[in-house]
Amino acid sequence: MYNIENNKIIFDNSFLLTDIDSFIDDLKKYGTNISSVQIDLSKVETFDNSVLAVVNSLIKKKYQFLLSEKLITEIKIFDKLISFNEKETVVTSGFENLVLRVNDFFSQITSFIVLSADIFSYSIKAIFRKEGRRKGSIYEQILLMGNNAVPIVFLLAFLIGLILSLQSAAQLRQFGANIYLVDLIVISMITEMGPMITAIIVAGRSGSAIAAEISTMQITEELDALKVMALNPLKYVVAPKMIAMTISLPILTVFANIIGILGGFIIAVIYLELSPVVFFNRAVGVMTLSFWWQSMLKSVLFSWLIVLIGAHFGFNVKGGAEGVGKATTASVVAAIFAVIMTDALLSIIFYFDF
Amino acid sequence: MDNIIKIKNLVAKYDTKIILDNISLSIKKKEIFIILGSSGGGKTTLLKHIIGLIKPVAGTIDIFGQEVTKMEDDKFDKVLTQIGMLFQGGALINSMKVWENVAMPLEQHTKLLPNIIRDLVKHKLSLVNLEHAYNLYPSELSGGMKKRVALARAIAMDPKILFFDEPSAGLDPITALELDELILELKKNLGITLVIVTHELESIKRIADRIIYLQKGKAIFIGTLEEARVENIDEINRFFGWNK
Ligand SMILES: Nc1ncnc2c1ncn2[C@@H]1O[C@H](COP(=O)(O)OP(=O)(O)O)[C@@H](O)[C@H]1O
Ligand SMILES: [Mg+2]
Repeated sequence: MYNIENNKIIFDNSFLLTDIDSFIDDLKKYGTNISSVQIDLSKVETFDNSVLAVVNSLIKKKYQFLLSEKLITEIKIFDKLISFNEKETVVTSGFENLVLRVNDFFSQITSFIVLSADIFSYSIKAIFRKEGRRKGSIYEQILLMGNNAVPIVFLLAFLIGLILSLQSAAQLRQFGANIYLVDLIVISMITEMGPMITAIIVAGRSGSAIAAEISTMQITEELDALKVMALNPLKYVVAPKMIAMTISLPILTVFANIIGILGGFIIAVIYLELSPVVFFNRAVGVMTLSFWWQSMLKSVLFSWLIVLIGAHFGFNVKGGAEGVGKATTASVVAAIFAVIMTDALLSIIFYFDF
Repeated sequence: MDNIIKIKNLVAKYDTKIILDNISLSIKKKEIFIILGSSGGGKTTLLKHIIGLIKPVAGTIDIFGQEVTKMEDDKFDKVLTQIGMLFQGGALINSMKVWENVAMPLEQHTKLLPNIIRDLVKHKLSLVNLEHAYNLYPSELSGGMKKRVALARAIAMDPKILFFDEPSAGLDPITALELDELILELKKNLGITLVIVTHELESIKRIADRIIYLQKGKAIFIGTLEEARVENIDEINRFFGWNK
């Protein structure tokens, strides 16, 4: 506690955290004229650490103090303890920052490519050799990634087919070009919407799960434990997922294609009053093998992208539990981005028949 | 061959920061070798180098008389199957049950039949007093139990060398004492060499044959506790609370 006498603030034997607010308010009344006030702490024997911090900073601002012996020693110690460098990290300018980010991006790409090559080679080995691969894991992963995704993939593919047909039907009807709805829905489902929708759903479900699982294993040292037991994490953890995904995603895509076309069929029959037989004959006519090849090629590529990107973000996790969250989110965003980019690229290539 | 591990002029870096500076040491067969030092002194880093999780910047590491730092993966795997490691948090595979965790190295590296593996798993689990945890998941265990399961897993393959990173950290005194007794039994009955990072004074006094003291990446002492007492090094005196 303290009293104010003219230009003096005089404390009794204690100065605590609870006094600081009013003390600072009173001190402000003297304005910038620092030398006009003297703070007498010569009797203070009881004080908090926060008081040391306040007094220390006021001394540095050249306020006039009378200090007790105890305060003098404690403030010296306090000042010494806080005198280390807060950050050794260099503060970078905007441009350097950009350079660093670009560098980081390229080193990430390099490590991604190296990792991908390793995963491919271990996955191919894992197909032929059981050693070093977790027992029953491929079957388990197919169930997890493929089987469990069936309901959501079916539902969304059906809705996409339905909506796409509905929107197009309204336009086609005006030209009396109803029959072309079949071409439109068959080609767009098989070559574009089917593979892409399926991949996006699976990236959200399983790509994120892969990143979460691997990053958690990384921060809990499970991956190190595997290595010490002479088990390669790429072979033990990633290869089964890679194999399972390469099987699951194309199968899911085939289903999605068919279900999506079914959505179109319903619109064609109900809204455009096309006869089912006409729809069926036309569909079979349009559906050339090369469209199916395109579809399967895309979905196999997407399946690899999803696993590789999930693994990449999983292995490169930084920090603790919140790092897992970040890795998971980043992997989903990156996977969906990569899927759509790759789809666009392939569509252009196929369209111009390179 | 008396020395089971020989390290010469080991240098370790993270980025540009030197963590281990020219460490040389030998670990004898069937001894309990304790790695001491201040926190951040490089103890975990030293362990990770010996077991090959990190490759050294310079220096050589001999295990079972073979230089391992430049060894091919396939060959190093053979070395790894003869060593076990207990990680700080246990590092059990969370998606697998306790018995599957312990069985994993056996399933992967041996051609033993499943029923034999089950028996071996049961044996290891009773060694660490965890018969009742057989069918549980790691998430259903306490910290001390996890470490004991991890120990059972580490000795599943009857390794010649066992590495521990702070085995008694976070354990109550009684569990810690039991763990020490277990460690002494492993040495006596199975003739295992043990390399242990620990801070627990009581535990060190109970089990240590020799110690290394790491300070800021340098080995300031290697030898027995008695020798340490005689050498009268400030840092070590303070660590053990010895008067000068
Ligand atoms: N992965 C890493 N990357 C960068 N620095 C690290 C890493 N791991 C440990 N370090 C640093 O290396 C030093 C030694 O760490 P560590 O070997 O874990 O010490 P100890 O186990 O003796 O407490 C510490 O300063 C720590 O910050
Ligand atoms: Mg450590």
